[in-house]
Amino acid sequence: MKLERKLMCLALGLGLGLAAPASQAETVLTVVSGGSQNMVDYITDYLGPMFEKLNPGVKVKALGVGPDDAGSQKIVEKLQAQKSAGVKEWDVDVVVPNQQKTGEMVKAGLLQKYRDSISTGKFAVSQSAQHALGVNVGGYVMPMFESQTALAYNPALVSNPPSSYDELRQWVAKNPKAFGYNGLKNGMSGVAFVVGWMYAYGGNPAVIQQGPYDKKNEVSWDKALAELKAFNQQVTFTPGNAGTLDMLNRGEIAMGPVWVDMFYSWKADGRLPPNLKLKLIAPGMPGQPYYYAIPAQARNAALARKFIELATSPQVQANGIVKRFNWYPGIDPNAVKSQLSAKDWSELFTDVTPADLAANAKPFPLAPYFTDMRERYEARVQN
Amino acid sequence: MWVKCMNQTNVLPRLPALQNGRCSLSRVAPHVPVLLLLVPALLVVFVLFVYPLGYSLVYAFRDEKLGVWGLMNFRQAWLLYAKDIFLTLGVSLASSFLIGFFAVAIAGYLSLGENRRAVAILKWLYRWPLFIPVVVVGQMMRTFLARNGLMNNALMALGVIEPLQAVSFLDWRGMIFTFVWKQLPFATLLIAGAMAALDRSMLEAARNLGAGRLRVLCGIVVPQVLPTVLVSLILSFVSILSVLSVPMMLNAGSPTMITVDMAWRVASYSDYGVANALGLISWAMCAVAACFYLRHGVRERGLQ
Repeated sequence: MKLERKLMCLALGLGLGLAAPASQAETVLTVVSGGSQNMVDYITDYLGPMFEKLNPGVKVKALGVGPDDAGSQKIVEKLQAQKSAGVKEWDVDVVVPNQQKTGEMVKAGLLQKYRDSISTGKFAVSQSAQHALGVNVGGYVMPMFESQTALAYNPALVSNPPSSYDELRQWVAKNPKAFGYNGLKNGMSGVAFVVGWMYAYGGNPAVIQQGPYDKKNEVSWDKALAELKAFNQQVTFTPGNAGTLDMLNRGEIAMGPVWVDMFYSWKADGRLPPNLKLKLIAPGMPGQPYYYAIPAQARNAALARKFIELATSPQVQANGIVKRFNWYPGIDPNAVKSQLSAKDWSELFTDVTPADLAANAKPFPLAPYFTDMRERYEARVQN
Repeated sequence: MWVKCMNQTNVLPRLPALQNGRCSLSRVAPHVPVLLLLVPALLVVFVLFVYPLGYSLVYAFRDEKLGVWGLMNFRQAWLLYAKDIFLTLGVSLASSFLIGFFAVAIAGYLSLGENRRAVAILKWLYRWPLFIPVVVVGQMMRTFLARNGLMNNALMALGVIEPLQAVSFLDWRGMIFTFVWKQLPFATLLIAGAMAALDRSMLEAARNLGAGRLRVLCGIVVPQVLPTVLVSLILSFVSILSVLSVPMMLNAGSPTMITVDMAWRVASYSDYGVANALGLISWAMCAVAACFYLRHGVRERGLQ
């Protein structure tokens, strides 16, 4: 009997203890990030605490749903489910999706227009702030940062790195299995390499990037993909974006496509040899922004706007995005540059110069071309 | 009627009023609370499992873009992923057979081994992988099986292989290795349990008559525990089919397992149709295994 009473007390105490935090009057701002772990860390370790300090009584809850299309797709599904169920107040306040899924969400009416009502809206000057793979997203998004793919290589093994896809092919022919990439289904750095290949050899790169969509522009793809299939015989396949970096680190490959920001972060953490370098090859490799957006029926929309305003202010873009996380700024670079020392600013462009970026940083293809391209790769290269 | 059916499938084995299939209302009445207790569980199963399963099976035959019903999703799945389907089947079958072989060997040594210390160490050691989540195993194997990974480095240090001979196992071999490593303790646990329940006198008689331990294992023990071996293999096969993280993390390039393709269809193309079709193919593989499982179950119950 005594034991029973004790157990009862314990259960009651536990119940009260668990219920207590919920009863506090605190506004929770829910941020769902469809990016890699570093993007979630950015909110939990840096931006969230800063916002909480400026807004007492507000708690920022960051949630990571995983990178690439798969992660952003989860955001789409969550919002779509709440819309279809007719829920009035959605439980997500800020989303951080990739380009393709942002376009889909704007088309499906899952996001709200907010850019003109925040003070930092004027800094959204890049092309990707207007168009996401062919969908007009102007007003719906603020770019969080721009990221870029490039080839990482080990200068100890590669003294004269290739500067174009043509030179890369010659290099790979001479050094079989020393180049590695993660194919199509294991992360976006592999997809980016394939897209770059198609820009180089598939024809009509400008139309593929800007539109209009017409299947006629895909006629020369099969030849380019047949060449890629032959090229694939001489490369090493890596398991994922991180897999490519891991293999570079262990010296199993000497070169491979990576995300620039991931490369710098890993290097800063000591997870890559300090001598590794980057090269953005011609005629170009794609990069993409991640966006801040607000769901159409977000519960705390006003607070969400305030959060994004802070996140896209020149100071935060300078200290958080550029200095701490090695991303290219999402907003107007000129506004960010003045906030940083010349040294910090130039460090961002050590291997990949602004001139390289201007010439060889490309967007991903228009969404329908992008779908066709990936499916054609599956049919022609993997089969 | 449904009460009668449930009784036959052993869901309600201890309700005397329901035996022999006679179920009049007055006899059922005292058991209403029991049935009510079952309702939440059944509801959860139906709402969260049976309904989505049925939905995706039906929508495997639907082309959302054209708004028509047909087999186009299966055509597409076959055109793009035939190799992956065969690889999935091959990897799952090969892993299951290897699991069976090693599980019998370990369980056999546990029940027939004579070196007590070795048996104790093995008993302590073999269960470890059971408590490591699949994702963690995937991450572990990524660095263990790589070309300059722990395994090859150890082999080089021991002088077994030369540095130039080192190859990466991050492909189907790595997946089989990982599945066997992860699933082996589960099968061993089941099989060792069945072996422990055997009548020891029979084994001792065989030993007294001069049979070696291997002979006893193959000739006497294994035939008696064969149903359990089969069940453990079927359960392993089914759980291997459903793993996404291991092929995602370990398998570089293609072909790969169809769970990856399913995730890819949904994530990259928002195409649930082909993903559902692949799901149905995977489900059909499971169904064949489940048939064996059920037939075995019915036979066992028939003996009782």
